[in-house]
Amino acid sequence: MAETSIFVVKTTANQERSVANLIAQLARKEKYDITALLVPDVLKGYVLVEAKAPEIVEEAIQGVPHARSVIRGASSFGEVEHFLTPKPAVVGINEGSIVELISGPFKGEMARVKRVDIGKEEITVELFEAMVPIPITVRGDHVRVLSKDEIQR
Amino acid sequence: MTEQACRECHRIVEGLVCPICGSSSLSKDWTGYVVIIDPKESEVARKLGITLPGRYALKVR
Repeated sequence: MAETSIFVVKTTANQERSVANLIAQLARKEKYDITALLVPDVLKGYVLVEAKAPEIVEEAIQGVPHARSVIRGASSFGEVEHFLTPKPAVVGINEGSIVELISGPFKGEMARVKRVDIGKEEITVELFEAMVPIPITVRGDHVRVLSKDEIQR
Repeated sequence: MTEQACRECHRIVEGLVCPICGSSSLSKDWTGYVVIIDPKESEVARKLGITLPGRYALKVR
């Protein structure tokens, strides 16, 4: 049994899932030796294909819309293993950090982090512009960290 | 309709109940996408503990 390697297919941005679906469909139909396809959200414009040889992947992407090319060289499983366990969205956000809300009704507002809930991946913030400090709980991926240090006033 | 992922087995499900584990705890809020074609040969499937071919989410909220 030959060991599988990871090959990287370049795709059009935001078409990663449709490319993965089409390659999977072809692999089943044509009996290509492709064992799995991986589309991590952090890797925009790429699909990771687990197969035994690069030629198999080259052949499989022929005629697949939005699949551009196979990146030369193979990656070992260890190199992509970290994609399988996504980090919580609140990693890198600490109490006292200054953040900007990037979605929701307070989009564009700046706020200071008061509490971080790692389990729920939520943070509680207080808006700078608010007249009275009202704690607002938002999802960790709905903010952008502007400053990690607590500003002393 | 947006696809939903099973909170128990992370499988991408069409319908209201997961056909594999029977759970009705589904979520539209999922990220990361994996297609397993051959779970016996796949290192990715082994690492994720997947034994059945299909489409899966990496993270389900």
